[in-house]
Amino acid sequence: MAASSAIRGYGASAASFDGLMQARKDTARTCQNRSLSYARTDQFLASDFTQNVVRQATDRTRLRTQAVRRVSIVTTASSDTPTKKILMMGGTRFIGVYLARLLVKAGHEVTLFTRGKTPVTQKIASETDQEYAEYSSKVKHIQGDRQDFDGMKSKIASAGFEIVYDINGREAVEVEPIIDAIPSLKQYIYCSSAGVYLKSDLLPHFEVDATDPKSRHKGKLDTEALLQSKGVPWTSIRPVYIYGPLNYNPVEEWFFHRLKAGRPIPIPNSGLQITQLGHVKDLADAFVRVLDNPTAFGQVYNISGAKYVTFAGIARACAKAGGFPTPELVHYNPKDFDFGKKKSFPLRDQHFFTSIEKAKNDLGWSPKYGLVDGLTDSYNLDFGLGTFRKAADFSTDDMILEKLGIKVAVPA
Amino acid sequence: MALSLQFPVSTPRQASLEISKLTPGCLASSFSLRSPSTSSLHSLGTSSGIATAVKKSSRRWRAAKTVAMAAAANEVSNRKVLIVNTNSGGHAVIGFWLAKDLVAAGHEVTVMTVGEESSDKMKKPPFSRFSELRDLGVSTVWGDPKDVGAAVGGKSFHAVLDNNGKDLDAVKPVVDWAKSQGVEQFLFISSAGIYKTSDEPPHVEGDPVKVDAGHVGVEDYISKSAFKFWSSFRPQYMTGSGNNKDCEEWFFDRIVRDKPVPIPSPGIQVTNIAHVSDLSSMITLAIGKPSASNATIFNAVSDHAVTFDGLVRLCARAAAKEAKIVHYDAKALGIDARKAFPFRNMHFYAEPRAAKEKLGWTSSTNLSEALKERYEEYIKIGRDKKDIKFEIDDTILSKVG
Repeated sequence: MAASSAIRGYGASAASFDGLMQARKDTARTCQNRSLSYARTDQFLASDFTQNVVRQATDRTRLRTQAVRRVSIVTTASSDTPTKKILMMGGTRFIGVYLARLLVKAGHEVTLFTRGKTPVTQKIASETDQEYAEYSSKVKHIQGDRQDFDGMKSKIASAGFEIVYDINGREAVEVEPIIDAIPSLKQYIYCSSAGVYLKSDLLPHFEVDATDPKSRHKGKLDTEALLQSKGVPWTSIRPVYIYGPLNYNPVEEWFFHRLKAGRPIPIPNSGLQITQLGHVKDLADAFVRVLDNPTAFGQVYNISGAKYVTFAGIARACAKAGGFPTPELVHYNPKDFDFGKKKSFPLRDQHFFTSIEKAKNDLGWSPKYGLVDGLTDSYNLDFGLGTFRKAADFSTDDMILEKLGIKVAVPA
Repeated sequence: MALSLQFPVSTPRQASLEISKLTPGCLASSFSLRSPSTSSLHSLGTSSGIATAVKKSSRRWRAAKTVAMAAAANEVSNRKVLIVNTNSGGHAVIGFWLAKDLVAAGHEVTVMTVGEESSDKMKKPPFSRFSELRDLGVSTVWGDPKDVGAAVGGKSFHAVLDNNGKDLDAVKPVVDWAKSQGVEQFLFISSAGIYKTSDEPPHVEGDPVKVDAGHVGVEDYISKSAFKFWSSFRPQYMTGSGNNKDCEEWFFDRIVRDKPVPIPSPGIQVTNIAHVSDLSSMITLAIGKPSASNATIFNAVSDHAVTFDGLVRLCARAAAKEAKIVHYDAKALGIDARKAFPFRNMHFYAEPRAAKEKLGWTSSTNLSEALKERYEEYIKIGRDKKDIKFEIDDTILSKVG
């Protein structure tokens, strides 16, 4: 049905502008198209859910299509959800560090599945010793390699997991064995990426927009399609750029290194490129809100900050966050350089931002961190304490500055 | 939790109007003409005329559907509304579309255009098409904002919209008159141009504004005038039939003549071009839901940004032609971008978040489709044959080399 493929937000039906608008209108919450609500409940009829849940979902969908005055239906807060047995793929590096803590605190039984390269738990700057002791004593661990499908299956099969949070999955082939191994699975929650959206002259990206089958994040798209096909209730979260303490992707860290060194900040082209940063704690909150939430079954959600930001704006916001003076920005054309394998800037050189209104309306979620507040949190709990993941590397900066004839005054 | 979903609809006519628009077949048929049997189509003429009727009015239809659906929870109906309308400029078209949407929503409308009916300004759209309003039962009068009473001849109104003034000099007399008449709801067309520039788009209601801006003074004055209900609407750029000011025409002028389109560098600046029906549907909802819209500022815009380069591409597609973009550094070349280009040379992007959250409004702007419609009108009036001098363009192109 055209309507159902539109809900899923996949590219084919939305390849043309008209198709895109059609898809968007079909899924607008004020749409009264009956087929919309049936398409959603199709998922449940195919699953082994009880009639109870099917009725609930239909009611909610009907209420939503009727409700004109938008009321955010928070179906389950973590405190209301009965204890769940949760398997988290990952959970020791960034998103999962915060998410697992929230889930454990809410009383769920959480097991992290990792190779064990990173310590299963580490105390983070924002928690007390007591809090860490509680968390580390409660969270469980299965050591294994998710690329070893048979090995993985045998390790997770008989634990009776009800929920999977897949934080580090990249390809569909990695996900299928997990679903197959867990007959008791009630929901698969997947960390996808807004990188799946097809570049567009019209922004922001909404969940129904065309996706790019050629993107670097094709695996995420394939995984979403696989989840759709498997019949298990699933939810996919599409973050944009995630930031916050312990970020291993050098987003804010890249700027902080240069600000600390008192160096000018090289910005590709105009610096007017608009993107969107989302705090990891807001992302973790969203992940909790979709747990056992029938409204979220079969849905994808953009999760990021409430406002967007230009590249130049990020530099200035990072300066404010760390108490640095307003930075000097140096603009260059990347095409004039050959940086080899090195990245001269941490963000893709294009507009890249999404609307988060679907998550706000469906989940009653909204980001708590504004950009400067969030970057300040990251600075105070990570870089400002002297910790970072990647050491400073100014080699591409120096190439740029040299070509532009700009000398760097190295602080004494 | 209790959800109050259906407010009583006051008149049978309004009920049938709304119900007929809400059939599932109606939604399908506005795009694919699959079910011509739906009762809502009867108002568009005979079944043989359905194909053209539906296609031509599909945007109106979608906008009307938006209003009808959201209006299912209207607080009031059958309001007497006065629109004090400017006689020129980009905002003129708002009153024209709003009058039609208000009538469709069951309200009684008077449009007071500033100035005189005999003025030359009235020969331009939308004023040249005011007979369309009168055919719908809208009362069209002319007058001076300093003496609204004289123009409307003692009529009383529930709601007054000022779509004319940019500062207190122009709007205060209208506000004071409305207050003295016991008008319940005062609405104002302000401008998204009053937002302070920011590193963090979009402009969202509540963001800091330029305190010295005329519109800000007006919004402030209205908010303190103790109306039972008041709202302010901040538009950006608009496209739509009956527009008084060029918008996309600037692009068509060049594309249709195979001239390069000079765009201030880098071309990725974003702006917001709404179809005027987004504004008329939003204001109509606000009038139907005065409590929900009270004491609220609304960005009256579509929910998409478009880049300058993107707009060229969309216009080219609408014209079924190729377009050549030439970027230029206005500052470096000593070009006044305000004269050379129709939009502000910067990111200028507001989002309509308050309208979605408080009124249940949704945007129906399909810029691609809107531009195609406007291109058809552009050709129909023969503007492609018009002899236009491109002096500034020529200067730019010669400097860029």
